[in-house]
Amino acid sequence: MIYHELSVWTRGIIMDKEARDVANCIANAAAKVGFHSQMISDYVDDPDRTNCLVRKYARFSDEPIEFKFIYENPHPNWVVLVEETLVKAVNFFRGTADGSGVLVVNSAREPEYLLKFLPEYMLQKLSKLVAVDAVSLAEQQGSSPWMFVRDLGQLAYDRMSTEGANERSAVGIGIAAPLLGALTAATGVLELDVVADTVEERDAFYRGAENHRVLDYAETHKHMQEAAGSPVAGTPA
Amino acid sequence: MSVKGTKIPVELRLPLAGVTPAPTEQAGQELFPTGNFRFFRPVYRDKMPPCNHACPTGENIQRYLDYVKHERFFDGYMTIIDDNPMPAVTGRVCYHPCEGACNRKDHDEPIGIRNVERFLGDFGLELADNPIKDTVPPVNGKRVAVVGSGPGGLACAYHARRLGYRVTVFEALSKAGGMMRGGIPHWHLPEDVLNKEVAKIEDLGDIEMKYNTRVGEDVSWDDLKDFDAAFISVGQDVGRKLPIEGNDLRGVVGGLEFLREAGFNRPVKVGKKVLVIGGGNTASDTARSALRLGAEEVTIVSLEAPDELLIVPEDLEQAKEEGVQFKTNTACARILGNDGVVNGAVLCKARLEKDEGGNVAPQMEEGTEYEVDCDTVMISIGQVQHLDWVPEGLRDERGLIRTDPYGRIDGNIFAGGDIIRGPAMVVDALGDGKRAANNIDKVLNGLELVPESPVEVMPYERLNTAYFRHAPRIEAPVLPPKERVTDQKMEVTLAYDQEQAVGESDRCMSCGVCNGCDNCYIVCPDVSVVRDQRENGHYSIRTKYCKGCLVCVQECPTGCLEKVPELDFDEEGDVTRMETAFSVFDGSHATQSVPIAKMHEEAIAEYDASRRAKVDAGKGEK
Ligand SMILES: Cc1cc2nc3c(=O)[nH]c(=O)nc-3n(C[C@H](O)[C@H](O)[C@H](O)COP(=O)(O)OP(=O)(O)OC[C@H]3O[C@@H](n4cnc5c(N)ncnc54)[C@H](O)[C@@H]3O)c2cc1C
Ligand code: SF4
Ligand code: SF4
Ligand code: SF4
Repeated sequence: MIYHELSVWTRGIIMDKEARDVANCIANAAAKVGFHSQMISDYVDDPDRTNCLVRKYARFSDEPIEFKFIYENPHPNWVVLVEETLVKAVNFFRGTADGSGVLVVNSAREPEYLLKFLPEYMLQKLSKLVAVDAVSLAEQQGSSPWMFVRDLGQLAYDRMSTEGANERSAVGIGIAAPLLGALTAATGVLELDVVADTVEERDAFYRGAENHRVLDYAETHKHMQEAAGSPVAGTPA
Repeated sequence: MSVKGTKIPVELRLPLAGVTPAPTEQAGQELFPTGNFRFFRPVYRDKMPPCNHACPTGENIQRYLDYVKHERFFDGYMTIIDDNPMPAVTGRVCYHPCEGACNRKDHDEPIGIRNVERFLGDFGLELADNPIKDTVPPVNGKRVAVVGSGPGGLACAYHARRLGYRVTVFEALSKAGGMMRGGIPHWHLPEDVLNKEVAKIEDLGDIEMKYNTRVGEDVSWDDLKDFDAAFISVGQDVGRKLPIEGNDLRGVVGGLEFLREAGFNRPVKVGKKVLVIGGGNTASDTARSALRLGAEEVTIVSLEAPDELLIVPEDLEQAKEEGVQFKTNTACARILGNDGVVNGAVLCKARLEKDEGGNVAPQMEEGTEYEVDCDTVMISIGQVQHLDWVPEGLRDERGLIRTDPYGRIDGNIFAGGDIIRGPAMVVDALGDGKRAANNIDKVLNGLELVPESPVEVMPYERLNTAYFRHAPRIEAPVLPPKERVTDQKMEVTLAYDQEQAVGESDRCMSCGVCNGCDNCYIVCPDVSVVRDQRENGHYSIRTKYCKGCLVCVQECPTGCLEKVPELDFDEEGDVTRMETAFSVFDGSHATQSVPIAKMHEEAIAEYDASRRAKVDAGKGEK
């Protein structure tokens, strides 16, 4: 059985759409190639509060999804963090099977630096850590403060959001595009061209697919464990 | 929320108001650790105010202005004298580079820093006991020689003594002060003020003043090596001669020599019609002193054009008010005499030019010569120093002593003041003396001298200027020109009274330094700024709870609060992690109580089991 759960974590109001686009495009692409698929925006997290931690879900399977009315992903194996600080903010691997979690972080920092924020109980779930500098890979849209691509410093003083009147209707734009590229490339389940067809800004999508740094944690971890002579933890279930 | 009519077990009911601790309470904050909302963290990080940075002695100006604002004059005084041993002197004579750098000039007008400094300096002089004495440690057995008792020498003696050294000061003249006594006139710096400041330094004990002792004659360079370290601050007190015909007539005097005689209260003779040759501050002081000591008409003759004069603007204005006349773009070609006594001079149009070596090379215009009457000509065209007693390799072509970037000449011998810079300011010499004492202390303790780490100077643009009302600078009172020219000892600029000092300090914007305004504490919508005392250093951010809205950063008037990416903080205590976000699935809010969590898990397991049973059953049916 093929079954994947994607949880996208983001910040309420100011980066909501970016996360929604990531989940939407994955669910769409999966549906196009015949999977059963779902996309859900989680509104229980108080998403109308600026900066609040918010989730979007996508899941797809080659079999019907039975618990389709439960919207929280119980066992996410793909996790995208639209904002890098989330790496230290929440247990996004809650329910993830040991050694199965692919983590994609929108960050210009090195994956090794990001890794040190994960406590042991999360490291155990990690398979790969992918860092993609989505802000610089995204389509740049001039100097308007209302564009979707803004760095953290600009977002920090955002009291209004990218939501609502200023939101463009296209899906797969701004930093969502390179994030999707990196996620698709790093997971290797859906074909790049298939996902690209659901993304408005295709060039940025492919830039993300090509430019990201992967830290294969399960691999390195295995070596370390073997060297220490202890049983291998974190092998994918 | 009503629970009527539903069958919700007590443990599963959502916490209601009155049951849930409010987020302002500690327990509430543990329940809602919203610190993970934050991707920038507000951080208290003081920066260097430009005033402080511009002061050669590094006076903590922002801090003492803040003390004065709160009428804590003693604390203000003690703050200054940490860096500058004679605030009553600099408060009168300093050319205030601090005010030139003050951010307030971009807002309206710079703070009257020097006037507040003088207010505090005078406050210190009035104290019955010398409070500095209490700050001085016992001597440590090592000895420092200081050559020259100008501001450079006195500052080095003061700081070295405060670091535990026994100091011997060699001074060629009969009294201490250097140019502060023998250059700067009494109407600018009263003798009494200088004497008191010098006495305060001597009063620290173990500072021996050896007057009438000239190094190079009474003491040799090699004698200095008997000390553990030495500091040379001999200034430049030999006036340059004007190389023209008639310069040896009676009635031709050096401006500097004239000021020195007056400064040491020796009788001086001034004619009725005086020409002062030179375009700098010494010329201005000479001219204004001549007016007070009997001259009827004083004219400054300068090669410089009016906008090239090297006289500080306020002095230039005062000189004009007092009736000093100016002949700019003019050279003195010859001095005329009768019976060996001056009775006139030949002037001509000229321009100030410099040759390749940077020396003044007057360009006189032929055919423009004319004669003027005068009975005294005072020459104030710069000064030099005799340094034949200093080993040759240690001086340069310009007659200055050469030092490395730390003010060191050779081994444990340091130098500072005018003798390393050329004509400069009292406060430069004071700064050099302080630096020398500190570096001597390092060297004698076997430490390397290393460049100081760069500091971040707070620019005006980073202040939240919306908080600073425009207010005019409070000017210090000045005696009317008619009155002040009657007496060489009558001070021209007067002091702030207490109200003025406090009022002017109140204008300070505390650039980049927290001054306990409490704004962050008040504006934080999340009660995440904590403080025990309304004072710099007593504020902190409750990082487990602060959501990073940055209202505090935006509303900090002084700009000392700044935003730092949260991910830069990677220590263990820097992580605020929730098990999940606000999800009912995992309990109503963040950390859930154990019984509620258990009930949820059981409910989910039950649900899962029933689903599985149904699916299994369905499969079986097929
Ligand atoms: C007329 C005039 C007005 C000025 N007005 C101002 C002003 O308003 N504000 C301001 O900031 N600056 C002013 N300055 C500049 C300021 O006075 C000098 O920059 C400052 O005094 C230099 O200090 P110093 O320690 O280097 O040397 P000095 O003050 O020159 O002191 C040097 C001391 O060393 C002694 N000495 C010299 N040779 C020997 C030797 N071989 N052995 C022992 N002792 C020796 C001298 O007698 C003197 O006491 C003025 C200068 C002049 C000339
Ligand atoms: S406003 Fe105050 S702290 Fe700022 S430069 Fe001026 S004196 Fe210094
Ligand atoms: S707002 Fe006021 S109290 Fe708070 S950090 Fe800034 S200067 Fe200090
Ligand atoms: S105002 Fe309060 S919540 Fe906002 S950043 Fe400052 S401390 Fe944090």
